[in-house]
Formats: sequence, structure tokens, C-alpha cells
Amino acid sequence: MRVDRTIRVSFPAPARGLIRGIGRLLLSALLLAGCTQTDSLKTSQTFQRPPGTARVLLMPPDVELYELLASGLQEPRAAWTETAKRNVVAAIADLLRPKNAELVPYVEPTADPAAERRHTQLIKLHDAVGYSILVYQYGGPNQLPIKQGKFDWTLGSEASLLQREFGADYALFVFMRDSYSSEGRKAMMVGLALLGIGVSGGAQVGFASLVDLKTGNIVWFNRLISTTGDLRTQEPADEAVKELLHNQPL
Amino acid sequence: MTSGATWPALMMALLACAGCAPASRSELPDAPTGQRPALATDEAGLWMVMDRVEQDIRTSGRRVSDPALNAYVQGVLCNVAPDYCRDLRIYVLESADFNASIAPNGFVVVFTGALLRCRNEAQLAYLLAHEVTHYQRRHTLQQWRDIRSTVDALLFPEIALSVAGLGPAATLAELGAIGSILQFSREQEREADAFGLDRVAAAGYDPSESVDVWTNLMAEKKAAKDDEPFIFFATHPPNAERAAALREQAAALTASRNAGIDGVDEYRNATLAFRGGWLRDELRRREYDRTQVVLDQLTSDGVRLGEVAFYRGELYRLRGDKGDDQRAIEAYRIALTSEGAPPETHRGLAEVYRHGGDAKQARAEFDEYLRLKPDAPDRTMIETYLRTSE
Repeated sequence: MRVDRTIRVSFPAPARGLIRGIGRLLLSALLLAGCTQTDSLKTSQTFQRPPGTARVLLMPPDVELYELLASGLQEPRAAWTETAKRNVVAAIADLLRPKNAELVPYVEPTADPAAERRHTQLIKLHDAVGYSILVYQYGGPNQLPIKQGKFDWTLGSEASLLQREFGADYALFVFMRDSYSSEGRKAMMVGLALLGIGVSGGAQVGFASLVDLKTGNIVWFNRLISTTGDLRTQEPADEAVKELLHNQPL
Repeated sequence: MTSGATWPALMMALLACAGCAPASRSELPDAPTGQRPALATDEAGLWMVMDRVEQDIRTSGRRVSDPALNAYVQGVLCNVAPDYCRDLRIYVLESADFNASIAPNGFVVVFTGALLRCRNEAQLAYLLAHEVTHYQRRHTLQQWRDIRSTVDALLFPEIALSVAGLGPAATLAELGAIGSILQFSREQEREADAFGLDRVAAAGYDPSESVDVWTNLMAEKKAAKDDEPFIFFATHPPNAERAAALREQAAALTASRNAGIDGVDEYRNATLAFRGGWLRDELRRREYDRTQVVLDQLTSDGVRLGEVAFYRGELYRLRGDKGDDQRAIEAYRIALTSEGAPPETHRGLAEVYRHGGDAKQARAEFDEYLRLKPDAPDRTMIETYLRTSE
């Protein structure tokens, strides 16, 4: 970087790199996929569900909604995102209730900076591991030779701090990005289709992972790619979450 | 395709673009204090995205967590922005680059490379006041809206051209539109300097210090002899022009009120303890010509010269050009006769002697280093060397 890259409006910052990478990666998979596609992975070891009620810590869902403008620019939409987060949480709760799994809400330890740092590092680590799974486990040609098809990713023993602090057996991480075509974009898609030029509309992408908090191991992971769906209303949000969590092992 | 068919289409595209480029920019009111934007707005979307970035930065390993340093920088920020003091949050990040930035949701990032290069509090005040203006004038939102309208407007000529199969012309049209976006951000930079300098003067600082920020950077750039890419100049006014504008405004401001303080003592009290570490980071960039200018400036400041001379010795030792070993020895020797030379000065001398084949002098200097720093992290390595070189 040059010295006199001095003072600038800071948007977007480099810290966004990983998150953007995840979104882009899922979107690029969309180009190869059909309408709705999920593709889940399970631990190579035998999964043993604890007897009785499983306590599942729901990490803050990493959900962002965007409006896809005619130009292809994506505009972040805060109100949609708020609604979508509520819908996703409600849908997850509905889905897990009949499975004898109790949802434990995550509470940010705002009063304790040291605990907040530990939690955030764990969440950042999960971002990085999730990204690696998307790149290397789903990646086809990118498959790591050392994995030999095994699915044995882990956050390490540090994850057990969440078990201690929340008394939970598992942590569920959910990442979703959703974009919706603006009226202008829709008009353009129709117009250009008439001219024989294909332009993509909005898309829904995401992944979910279930972490065993005793070991830190990721015991189940699923990727969702869809050109339909709408997290802004409860019913389609329920559908999306159902797709995302289908065949989760609890 | 004949040129007769091409030119009218191209001209039409460019004209259309000239007509629809963002001439219709409306002035936004200043950012209100003490409130978040309404959820349904595009501004709330920007805040949402930047809240996430801020969370990453707040918990970043590169963050300098020293409470006193953070409180000091936050204090200077509040001096130049009493109106927005409660809305803005400072994060000092470890990076040798010169940079300061602000996000639309009110977090301010200052790199340690900028703190190393500020000579006094007035210069830091200028950098922060400049950033505050970006926030006050909602420049990111303005820029986002501008890009949005420009790129959308651009589509029509682009579609027309792509249907006509005129790829290169579409690229030209794009360049025209992007040029107007860059022009816009250059205006924002000018506004940030102008508004910022008013804040600096109102807070009682000497506004003319802002000129030195730029002349010092210009000296670094000249020494480094590197060519900035064109796009960089497009987004940032050339330094000379900027320095001249600041000089003119500072002269007007100082004529109308007391000159203001530079706050040099306060700045040194707050930052001197960190300077050595920042110089070490600066050296790690291996941009020696540029670092020499920084060291020259610190030498002329005349504070804790032993430390400055030590890093000059390190620079020569690491660069390793012809004659650098001798220059390094001279610099280390100057360090040892000045205030504040760290024990590592002896290690540096030892390394240079060892490099030159003078095992006896090297041993003496290593011994002295270990005597002065009994808990040196590289003790085992040095002792092994001393044992095996016998």
C-alpha cells in the first residue's frame, strides 16, 4: 500500500474479505446449479445423539438481505434483514421443536470484554472453517488430498467454552445471503431476454453447520443455493430453513 | 463494419452518457447527532454492513488495546468534533501504512503508521477532523447514491451498444461514467480538507500544521521514487495542490484568530513510548528510502535520538548495500552516545561485526547485549552461536 493512500472514505473495508468470499463462492456455485439445491455433509465418525433432550445453542444467524439493482449492484437492506433474521430464528425453533431439541438463545457477553473476544474469535474461526469446507470439501478439483473424502473439520477444544457458558450440547451456525431483483432489474431481465441475453436475478445462498461443543467437531454441514425463495415472509422463510436443515442429525 | 456505421452509435452513446451522468446530485443535510438512520433507508443498509466490519475491527488482533493511547486519540477526536463526540469511536490499528478512515456508522480507524508520522497533536487533529467531515457530510452515502444512479444510467447506452455488438465503445462509455464518480470523490476530499481545517482552528489548534502533513508525505514519496497508479491520483488530489489549498486556508484562518497551539508536548507524552515499535514495523516494510525520510524528520525533532539512531543503524544493516555495514556501525555508535538507545543496539553492532568477520568485536557486543537484557528472547540462539564459533 502506498504512503499517501491517506485519507479515504472507508467502504468496504478489507475485514469484509472472508464474508464476501463466502457469498461469492456460494453465488458462483449457483451458476452451475438448478433452482434449489442443497448438498449436505456429515461427520466421518459415527454420530451419537445424546439421550433425552439435546440442547442446541443457536448462534446469531449471519443473515444479510440485498436488493439487486438493475445495474447488478447490490444494495444492503437493513429492514429486510431484521425481518429475515426474526423469520429464520422462528423457523429454526419450529423445525427443532418436534425433534426433542431445545433451542438455547445466544446472548452476547457485552459486559465482559474478555468473554466477548473469545466468543468473537470462535465465530470468526467458524467463518474461516465454513469457508474452507465450501472451497475444499465441495470444491471438486479443490479437494484436499489429505482429507481423502473424509469430513473431519473441527473448531478445536476451545469451542467447549460455549458448552460451559450456555450448558448446550451443540451449536448451530447459520449463514444466509438473499437478494431480490428491483423493479428495474426485473424489467431489464425481461427486456434482455427478448433480445436473447440472459441476466441473472436475485438469489438465496447459505450454509448451516452443527458443532459438537464437547469436541468442537463439525458433525453436520449443509449448503443451500436457490434462485427462488423469500426470507422476508415467514412461510417461504420456513421453506428455506427446512431446505437448509434437511437431514440434520438431531 | 464500416466506420460510417460505428461513429454515430458511439457518439450517441457518449452523448447519452454525458446527459445522464450524475449532474443531478442533491446536497444531503449533515449527519444528525445521536441517532441511527431509519431502518427502511439505504443509509441503514450501509450502517448494517459497517456494523459488521466494526465488530471485526473491534476484536481484531491488530488492534492496539492500550487504554491510555486510545483515550488520547479519542480525546483529540472529541476536541475537533465536540458535536459528534458521542457518535464516533476510535480504533487504533497496528499497520505501518499511513492511513486514517471513517465509516458511515461512525467508527474511525487510525493506523499506527499515521501516528508515527504526525509530529504533533495539531497534525493528528487535522487528520481526524478531515475524517469527521466525511461523516458529517455523509460522503459514503452520497457516493453510494452517486454510483447507483450513474451505473444505472449507464446501462442504457451499454445495452444499446452490446446489442449493436460494439464492445470497446461500451468500455469507453463506462470509463466516462467512472471518471465522473472519481471526480466526485475528489470533491469530497476537498470538502473534507476545508471543513476539517475549520474544525481544527475552532478547537484551538494551529491549522498550518496540516500543510506539513502533506509536505512530509511528499518528501517520502519523492524519496521512494515510485509511480502511483493513475487511478490513485484520480481519487486523491495530487499532494502539491492539496498542500497549497491547505496553506491558503490556514493563512486565512490564522489571520482571523490566534495562531493556535501545535500540542507537541502532549503528543510526545502520549506516543513516545510506542514509537520504537512503530519504527520496527515501518522497517519491516523494507522500503528503506522512504523510511530514511521518516528517520530524518524524527532526527530533526531531536527527541530520544538514541532510539532514532538505532533504527537508522538497523536500516543500514538490513539493507546491506555497499558500505552499509560501516554506515550501520556509525549510526549504532551515535545511538550509544545519545539518549534512549535500546540494548538491541549492541546486538545490531554484533551482527554487523560478525558479518564483517570480526568475531572478537561481535562477541563483545553480544555479551554486552545479554548483560543489558538478561531475559532477551534470543538468548539461547546467541549463546549457541557464541559457543559454536569458538
